[in-house]
Amino acid sequence: MTAMLEVDNVSRRFGGLMAVDSVTTTVGERELVGLIGPNGAGKTTLFNLISGFTPVSSGEIRYRGEKISGLKPSVIASKGISRTFQNLRVFPNMTVFDNVSVGAVGAIGQTPWQAIVGGSNRAQQISERSWEALEKVQLTRYANDLAANLAYGKRKYLEIARALAMNPDLLILDEPAAGLNDSETAELASFIKDLHSSGITVMLVEHDMGLVMSICERIVVLASGKKIADAEPSVVRQNREVLEAYLGVDE
Amino acid sequence: MSKDFIQSAGLKLAILAVLFVALPLLLVSLDKGYIYQVVMLALIFSLLAVSLQLVTGIAGLLHLGHAAFYGVGAYIAALAGADYGIGFTLGLPLAGLGAAAIAFVVALPTMRLVSIYFAVATLGIGQMIFLVLQNWVEVTKGPNGVSLFSGIDLFGYTVDSELGIYFVVATIVCISIWVIHRLSHSYYGNALRSLREDDQCADAMGINTVRLKIESFMISSFFAGIAGALWAYTTGYISPVDFDFAESILILAMVVVGGLGSIPGAIIGALLLILLPEALRGVGDMRNIIVGFVLFFSILFLPKGLFGEVPSLNFIRRQFGSAWQDNPDKQKVGWK
Repeated sequence: MTAMLEVDNVSRRFGGLMAVDSVTTTVGERELVGLIGPNGAGKTTLFNLISGFTPVSSGEIRYRGEKISGLKPSVIASKGISRTFQNLRVFPNMTVFDNVSVGAVGAIGQTPWQAIVGGSNRAQQISERSWEALEKVQLTRYANDLAANLAYGKRKYLEIARALAMNPDLLILDEPAAGLNDSETAELASFIKDLHSSGITVMLVEHDMGLVMSICERIVVLASGKKIADAEPSVVRQNREVLEAYLGVDE
Repeated sequence: MSKDFIQSAGLKLAILAVLFVALPLLLVSLDKGYIYQVVMLALIFSLLAVSLQLVTGIAGLLHLGHAAFYGVGAYIAALAGADYGIGFTLGLPLAGLGAAAIAFVVALPTMRLVSIYFAVATLGIGQMIFLVLQNWVEVTKGPNGVSLFSGIDLFGYTVDSELGIYFVVATIVCISIWVIHRLSHSYYGNALRSLREDDQCADAMGINTVRLKIESFMISSFFAGIAGALWAYTTGYISPVDFDFAESILILAMVVVGGLGSIPGAIIGALLLILLPEALRGVGDMRNIIVGFVLFFSILFLPKGLFGEVPSLNFIRRQFGSAWQDNPDKQKVGWK
């Protein structure tokens, strides 16, 4: 079976700094992969390269065999890859429902003409899909509230719902547990597991080792832009290089 | 469900009844040319404010040259009528399309600019168009302006009574505002709002941000052009000063005072800033100071506008029958 996402010898240079240095890895269909590494290891940069926010300096990224590096973020998104952001970027002055609908309208599309005359069932489809996404994260109660007025933890779920409304095949979560307490993190972990078992391939960057170790099937470890490990959690836990770079030598 | 339908239909009928029955009756009974001019000015500026709202309040692009596109429409209609014998039926769409075409040419290079840089670019474009109207004497007749004496021809009939022209202007303004209402109160409108909120993030949602910005800028300019043609036909005389920077700022003030992002707010802002100075004519020179005070305090106490975006969207969803409510909770959310 070919991999869903192939990162092929990809590098990204910012001035003199190699933020991502010749990284090669894959994500298989229906996998749940974690990406970890110390601060500044290049995790978010790698996500930005995959989602098209930052162009690659060299190498190639392929999605289902098709080259996606060099495409615009909106084009990559429309192929079925959706992402969330590390620093929580909801649309603050829009309602919760309207936030989610942007993901749905991005995927389903509505032309000005369809908006004016109605007629086509686009609006109905977008409404239904947005509602379903809100149901998945249990935010339907807040549908008409402004996103800015939601509690921090709920905004995290809102951002995930907006990504889900795009009906993605590959969901990329950038530090979903950042800023959450232990019980919220545990809740999020089981939510991500459910998403994964519903058929979505998930790739997540995370600082919270407990979360990554408990739910991921495979873990990719970056340090200073280089990949230093790529294996099951139990193997990564034993890897000397990982322990030195990330968990501290004295362990 | 049916109660909602009756309520929303009732509201729409009430608006039409005021525009097409009550107001004309009032105008006929007063029978003053001056009042007609004020009412039509209020209608035309409502359309200008609503069209600017689409681009500035909703898509979030600060546009400082809207009056220039209004001018392009007015000049196309007036020159087509006065010099080429092209009447209103053809002149009106030409005015809109001409303004939209110029907007397209302008949009291609400027849409990559953000925030204040875009504002300065539109300021420059507005100024360029104004100077062309002012100085290209062979075509635009320069500062002397253009006179247009023909009435409004509609499929062979000529409308030249004040009441007739009022009906034509009111109908076209109504249809135009309805179109912009449909666009902004839809998922397409939500996509535009997402550009204003965070266009990078919208990009990650699969939204083609550049295309959407160009489209909204062109649609907005199209309706500014339509408003220009209506102005040319109602006054019968236009000159470049009608379309200078101060007019762009006036339209922007209407949008901000009414409430950024709110279509009904833009109409309220336009009515306020056209009708208030006229109502204060008796006060003499003090009136502009009073208008200034009203603007200042309205922004100070209501920074989100007289009818801000949040209450306005709720109003349109609940009272105007635009919401989707096929969900299990029967919540009025999203758009139909």
